[in-house]
Amino acid sequence: MTGDSTQLHLTSDDVDAWLAGVAAPELQRHVDQCSACFELVQAEQALAAQLGTLPLYTPKVDFANRVMASVYIPDPFAIRSLQAARRRLLGSRKAIALAASLALVLLGSMSASAAWTLANRDTLVAAGNWLAGQAAGWAWLGLRSAVLNLIEQPWFAGFRSLVETPGRLAIASAALSLMYLSGILALRRLLAVPPRPVAHANR
Amino acid sequence: MAAKPDLAAKSDQDIVALARAGEEPAYRELIRRYERPIFSLLYRMVRDRELAEDLAQETFVKALNAIESYRPEFKFSSWIFKIANNAAIDHLRRRELDTLSLEGSPHAETPDAIEATALQIGARQESPLDAVEARELGGQIEAAIARLRPEYRSCILLRHVEGRAYEEIAEILSLPLGTVKTYIHRARNELRQALAHLRE
Repeated sequence: MTGDSTQLHLTSDDVDAWLAGVAAPELQRHVDQCSACFELVQAEQALAAQLGTLPLYTPKVDFANRVMASVYIPDPFAIRSLQAARRRLLGSRKAIALAASLALVLLGSMSASAAWTLANRDTLVAAGNWLAGQAAGWAWLGLRSAVLNLIEQPWFAGFRSLVETPGRLAIASAALSLMYLSGILALRRLLAVPPRPVAHANR
Repeated sequence: MAAKPDLAAKSDQDIVALARAGEEPAYRELIRRYERPIFSLLYRMVRDRELAEDLAQETFVKALNAIESYRPEFKFSSWIFKIANNAAIDHLRRRELDTLSLEGSPHAETPDAIEATALQIGARQESPLDAVEARELGGQIEAAIARLRPEYRSCILLRHVEGRAYEEIAEILSLPLGTVKTYIHRARNELRQALAHLRE
């Protein structure tokens, strides 16, 4: 309410202030002089009182149990263990400082690595090619050494005479294949599960 | 359900902290503190006892299962009333039940269902005369509240039945403070007019 206290009626904020019991003295003076506002505040007070007397209702007795049946409660032991571990790890300033330093070093090195990679792609490609070339050279050297070693063996001359002509090679291959197949068949027999009689199979 | 004395003396924030630590009695204490206010609000919003129980149960289950996401800088009461009010408003929007009957749910088809869903007024008075008077007066107030728009109804119930501050109501209903004040004043005007005959 602003201006002459007898000319302007109460605003809704004034009524709120009145209901809350914090009305300014000029509001009181206005209400004393203005019958419309006096009736308004009387009616508002009566309404607030009536609303305040409305009862609270109670749900059925098993309400809490029905709610609790659908509520997931975390395991207190697991929570306590986690909290204890966290306290142990981050319990002192020294531990926090160490963890923060490690995190900073890790983050810094990752960032530096990413930045260097982006800035030196050509160098990385050249290094990759050099590594691949070296690996191929070492593989070839290894293969050559193995073959030379094989040739130097005393039985190699006999073996070579076995496969010297195509006919001998065919016979040797056939003999080897036959041996392989015989081995497979023998293995299958050895590993086969003995048949069991099935209950009620002979009704 | 009686609460343990040590829990009853604690603040909502302390109880929530215990619930987060996995203490079941803390969950039950939160239910004990808010089951009547939440159920009363929902009952007055939807006017169907069974439905209000279902919505109250849904409210508590939702709140308690999301207790980890509750932010302690806000009042727990605001948070749970907000969940309850949203449940009621969602239901009313779905059913388009803007004005409701004191004589039970409009969806109740049998006499038993009508009785079960009817609002029970003045059931806790001391003498039969008090009970009759309270039933008559309370019934007319409840009827007048039932005729309000749902938004006005939420505001007036939170303000004058639950005794919540304007700022808290604004937070609960996610409305600007000015809108809440307007709704409450309009609701009070409508209620005053509806109950004018009681003062004459």
